[in-house]
Amino acid sequence: MSSVSVISPVIISAWPAVAAAVAGAAASMGFNITVPELAAENDHEGPRRRKVETEVPNSEVLEEQLGSDERIVITRGNIEIVVGRDERGAVTLCVTGEGQSKAELEQIGQEVAGRIVQQFAYHRLVAELIARDYEVVEESVQQDQSIQMRVRLGG
Amino acid sequence: MKKPTFDIRIDKSGKVTVKVSGVSGEECMRLTDMIAEIVGKEESRELTPEYHAGGQVRITTQTQARVTR
Repeated sequence: MSSVSVISPVIISAWPAVAAAVAGAAASMGFNITVPELAAENDHEGPRRRKVETEVPNSEVLEEQLGSDERIVITRGNIEIVVGRDERGAVTLCVTGEGQSKAELEQIGQEVAGRIVQQFAYHRLVAELIARDYEVVEESVQQDQSIQMRVRLGG
Repeated sequence: MKKPTFDIRIDKSGKVTVKVSGVSGEECMRLTDMIAEIVGKEESRELTPEYHAGGQVRITTQTQARVTR
């Protein structure tokens, strides 16, 4: 090898690319995507129901792409996560659960935020490298949930 | 001739580790910069022995026979 770099992804993008990353993260973690209206109907406060908020680091949804439905709700069991955008443009996660402590909900939120970044980085890298005539020759998901791939100049 | 190759690992928190191989010197730097530009903020970069391979000065000597009459 010639060089090894470690890079922290930055998400600066229109909502559709963020939404695709959320969908990919949800699928890989066993969450279902729910229609926001249905989620709102089920949004009830109970004595054991807790809510925490977190955000995806280094993220910004481009403002000119904003519309009315830039929000995705994902659910797994009694955990519901609303992924949206705050007034600064950062991607936010509102995690609600019943029976979990706040620390547990925060951890779940951070895991999902990490997977959103992972999916975003994966799709961006693949799209940009293919556009530059590279091809993915190997790809796998490891036991630690990392994505590994080998990309080589084609032709 | 070796082709430029990226071995990419994206961990579950999104952090990307990229090994660039098949090239050396300035081309290696250019490709590493390209990946960093696509993904985000580069935290560290380590050059490995192959990086310097293309920068080695190769000295060859030629001996010409001199014919004297």
